[in-house]
Amino acid sequence: MMPTMKTFFPLILIGAFLPAFAHAQQTVAPTTGEATGSVRGDNVGTYNIVQQWELGYRFASVGGDSGSYRSDVNYHNGIRLLNSSLTINSRDGHGKWFDEITLSTQGLGHDPYESATFRIQKNQWYRYDLLWRSNDYFNPGLTVANGEHLIDTNHRWQDHELTLLPQNWYRLRVGYGRTAQDGPALNTATPFDSQGAVFPVFHNVRQQFNEYRVGGDATLHGFRFSILRRWEFFKEDSADTQTTTLTGAALPFSSSTDPSVLTSFNRSQPYRGDTRGWLANLSGERKFVAVNARFSYSGGRGDFVQNERALGIDRFSNGQNRQIAVTGNGTRPVTTGDLNLTLFPASKLSVINTTSISNTRISGNNHFVQFDNATLSNDNLNFQFLGIRLITNATDVKYRFTKRLDAFAGYRYSNREIRSIEDSADPGQAFQGLTGQQTNVLQAGVAGVNWILLKDLRLHVEGEIGRDDHPFAPNSLANYHAIRARVRYAKRKYSVSGGYQQNYNNNSIQITAYSSHSRNYNGDATWNAKSWLALDASYSNLHLDTIGGLQFFAGSPRASLVADQSSYYISNIHAANLGLRIPIRKRADLYAGYSLTRDAGDSRAAYILPRLAPGLADLYHAETFPLTYQTPLLRLSVQITPKLRYNLGYQYYGYHEDFGLLAQNQNYRAHTGYTSLLWSF
Amino acid sequence: MLKGIWLALIPLALMAQTAPPAGTNTANKYVGSEVCKTCHADVWLNFYKNPHYKSIASGKETPERTGCEGCHGPAGNHVAARGGKATIGAFSNFTPDETLTTCLSCHSKDVSRASIRNSAHTKADVVCSSCHSIHKPATPKFLLAKQQTELCYTCHASQRAQFEMPSKHRVNEGAVQCSDCHNPHGSALSAGSTTQHMGGSSAALQPAFNNEQPCLKCHVDKRGPFVFEHAAVKVEGCEGCHVPHGSTNAKLLTRPVVFTLCLECHNGAGTFGRSNFSVFRTSPAHNLQDPKYQRCTLCHIKVHGSNSDQFFLR
Repeated sequence: MMPTMKTFFPLILIGAFLPAFAHAQQTVAPTTGEATGSVRGDNVGTYNIVQQWELGYRFASVGGDSGSYRSDVNYHNGIRLLNSSLTINSRDGHGKWFDEITLSTQGLGHDPYESATFRIQKNQWYRYDLLWRSNDYFNPGLTVANGEHLIDTNHRWQDHELTLLPQNWYRLRVGYGRTAQDGPALNTATPFDSQGAVFPVFHNVRQQFNEYRVGGDATLHGFRFSILRRWEFFKEDSADTQTTTLTGAALPFSSSTDPSVLTSFNRSQPYRGDTRGWLANLSGERKFVAVNARFSYSGGRGDFVQNERALGIDRFSNGQNRQIAVTGNGTRPVTTGDLNLTLFPASKLSVINTTSISNTRISGNNHFVQFDNATLSNDNLNFQFLGIRLITNATDVKYRFTKRLDAFAGYRYSNREIRSIEDSADPGQAFQGLTGQQTNVLQAGVAGVNWILLKDLRLHVEGEIGRDDHPFAPNSLANYHAIRARVRYAKRKYSVSGGYQQNYNNNSIQITAYSSHSRNYNGDATWNAKSWLALDASYSNLHLDTIGGLQFFAGSPRASLVADQSSYYISNIHAANLGLRIPIRKRADLYAGYSLTRDAGDSRAAYILPRLAPGLADLYHAETFPLTYQTPLLRLSVQITPKLRYNLGYQYYGYHEDFGLLAQNQNYRAHTGYTSLLWSF
Repeated sequence: MLKGIWLALIPLALMAQTAPPAGTNTANKYVGSEVCKTCHADVWLNFYKNPHYKSIASGKETPERTGCEGCHGPAGNHVAARGGKATIGAFSNFTPDETLTTCLSCHSKDVSRASIRNSAHTKADVVCSSCHSIHKPATPKFLLAKQQTELCYTCHASQRAQFEMPSKHRVNEGAVQCSDCHNPHGSALSAGSTTQHMGGSSAALQPAFNNEQPCLKCHVDKRGPFVFEHAAVKVEGCEGCHVPHGSTNAKLLTRPVVFTLCLECHNGAGTFGRSNFSVFRTSPAHNLQDPKYQRCTLCHIKVHGSNSDQFFLR
C-alpha cells in the first residue's frame, strides 16, 4: 500500500496507523493515521510509546443552499486537532498499573464529527473502555416540511465499560452510557384547528438518556453463563414557544384572506421514562454441538405531562384562548428467548437450528382535557394497547463437499400475532373501543453455495424465497424473493470483484397492487501497481422501482375521492469511486479521489408530467428525483523531517438537483479543505 | 558478561531442541513460543502489543492455549522440518470451518460472538481471518485487517455507495461505525436472510437491548412507550419509511417527498394494519391538491408516536 511500509514494518505496529486506502478519500479530512517517516515507538522503562498528533486548520466556502450543505456535509472554518493517537504497551505484559493504553481522537476543536476512544487495561486484572462522540446535526427538512421543520442540534454519546478479571473464569462488568441531544429547532403547530393555519414555533430540544449496567459471567465445564442487569433512564424537556404575533395570511400554504392569528403559544411536554431489564446468556461449544441460549426481559415505563396554551384568532375569526392538558403513562414489557443449537454430526456437515420467541406488550393511557375560552370543551380518557408476539424457527444445513466447495440450504418459519385495543371514553363512561387481532405466517427457503473456482477466485451465490400470508402493511414483504451473488479474484497486488443483489416483492391485493423491484450491481478493482502507484475504483448501480395503489381526496372546489391513482417511484443511481495514490520519492504522498452519485431517475429531463392523466400533478413530479452529487478531492502529504509531515487537502462538494421537488431547490457547491502538521514519535 | 554468554547460548540450546535426530519419528509436540521466535522474529518483535500476548504473559495457560501454538497447533514437526506450511497449522491452508473452529476454541464464550455459527458471514464462508489480521492488524483494538469502514466496503460495495449519498449516516466521517448497528459475528435473532425477515433481523443487525431496532440506541426519543404508537414503526421497523445507510432523499426517507410515502400505506386497502381491516386513508378534509396537505409531517409532527394525540398532531 505504501512504499515505506516494508521498511518500517518490523519496528512497530505500523498497521495501526496506516491510512486506510479508501478511507482516505471519504472525507476531506484528517490524514487519518498517515505514517510520518519512520513511525516508531519509544521505549520508556518497560513500556513502548507511540504517539501521533495532527493539528491544522480547516476551511470551507459554501455557495447556494447553505442549509442543505450543513445537512449533508457541515464542515466549517477553524483550528482542529484533526487526528491523534497514543498507544502505550507494556513490553513484558507485566506493567505495574497497566499493560496497555490506547487513545485516539478525531476532529477535536469543534468539527461537526468529533470522537475519542480510550482503553486502559492490566492483563488479568481489569480493562476499561471509553467511547465518546459528538455530532453537530443540522437538517432543514425542506422537501419534507417546506423548511418549517428545522433542527440544529448537538448529539453526544459516551459509553464506559469496566471489566474486572477479564481473563479469569469469572468476570465482572460495570458500564455506563449516556446520550444527549440539545439545541434549537423549528416546529409547527396547528393550535386551534387541524385544518387551520400551520404556525411555525420554536422548539427547544432537550433530551437525555442514561444507562447503567452491572453484570458478570462465569465459565463452567466449557460453557459460559452471562448475566446482565440494566437500568435505563430517559428524560425529555423539549418545549415549543412562540411569543411573536403571527398572522395566518402571511404563512406558507395559507390563503391571503386567512384571518388566523397566533398571539402566543407555549407547549411543554416533560417526559420521564425508565427501562429496567435482565439479560442472561448461556453459550459454549463441544465437539459435536454448540449452544447459544438467551433470555431477556425489560420493563419500560414512561410518565408524561403535556401543557399547551395558545392565544389568538382561529380561521373563523373567533377569538381563541385554548388550553390543553394531558397526563398519562405508558408501559412496555418485553420478553425474549432465543435458543441456537448447532450440531456437527460429521466433520463436513453442520446443522443449525434457531428458535426465537419474543413478546412485546405496549399499553398507554392518558387523560385529555381541553379548555376553550375558559370553558371545558373536551374531557376524555384514552387507552391503547399493542401486543406483538413472535415465534420464529430457522433450520440451516451446511455441507462441505470439498475443500473448495460447500453449500447450504435452510427453511424459516415465523408466526406473528398482533393484538390491538384502541379505546376512548368520557370520564364515567364505559370504554367501547376498537379491538383487533391478526396472525400472519411467513415461510421462507434459502439456499446458497460457496465455491473456490480457482485458487484466488471465489464465488458466493445465495437466494431466498418467501411467502407471508397476511402482511401487516401494504409495502410489507408478501411474496418476495432475493438473490445475491458475488465473485472475487484477489491476488497480492490486485483484486477484482463483482456483485449482484436483487430483491423483489409483490404485495398485491385490491387497490394497493404494491410491488417493489430492487437490483444492485457493483464492481470493484484495486491495483497496487508499483511502489509509486496504487489505484482503487468501484462502481455501483442501485436500481429501485416501486408502484403502489393510492386513494386520497383531491379536487376543486370540493375534494372528492380519487381512487385510481398510483404512486410510481423510480430511482436509478450510478455511484462511482476512483482513488489514485502516488507516493513521490518517499518524501511526499499525493492522493486524488473522486466520488460520484448520480440518480438518473426515470430519464425525464425536466420538471414535466410524464403522463396525461389528470389528478394530482405533484404526484407525478414526485415519481423520480434525479440529482448529481460529486466530491472530488486532492491531498498532498510531504515529509519535512522523519517525525514531521505537512498535509494539505482540498475537497469539492457539488449537489445539483435536475429539478427541485415541490417547487424547491436545494443545490449547493462547497470548497472545503485543510492544512495541517502531523507530528509522530 | 555472564548474562551475555547465556544469551548467546540460548539459540544454540533452541537449535539443539528443535533439531531431533534424522529419522526420528516422534509425535508432533508443543515446543513453546520461544522456539518460534527464532525464525519468526518479525512477528515476535511486536507480539507484546497483541492482545493474544496475554496468554503468554499470564504464564498459567497450558501449551495448547498459549502463544503461537495456541492458534497454530503443536510445532514439533514444523521445527523438525525446518519450516513449511504443511507441517504447521497455517491459516492460509485452513478451510473456513477450520479457521472458525480454531478461533472459537477460545472466543466462543463471549456473548457478542455467541451467534457466529448462525451468522450470514459464516454461511458465506467469511470467517475470522477474512476480517481480522492477527499479525498485521490495522487497528490495535479488534485486530482488524483494515480500518473498519474500509474493511466492510471490501465486500459491501452497495453500502459504500449509499454512505456517499448526500443524506446518510456519517460513517465515512467517523460519526458512526458499521458495528454500531451490525454485529458481524451474527445476531441472536439473525436468520441469515438477505431481506428483512419478519420480526427477525437480517444483515446481522445488532439490536438494542431486548431485540429492539438498533436505531433506538441513538434515537432514544423514538423509543416510547407512547400512548399512541405508530404501529408500523413497532411492527415493521424503521425501514418501513427510512433507508438506514444512505439515500438521495432527505431524512433518509424511501421517497423524495413525504406524502407519497405516507399514502402508499394510508390508502384504505383492506386487511392491513393493527385493526386488521385496513390502514385508514386520509381524511376527506385533506385536499391533496393543497400543498399544505402534501407535507404530512407539517401537522403530524409526532409520526413516530404521540402521548396525547391519536393522529400525532402534538
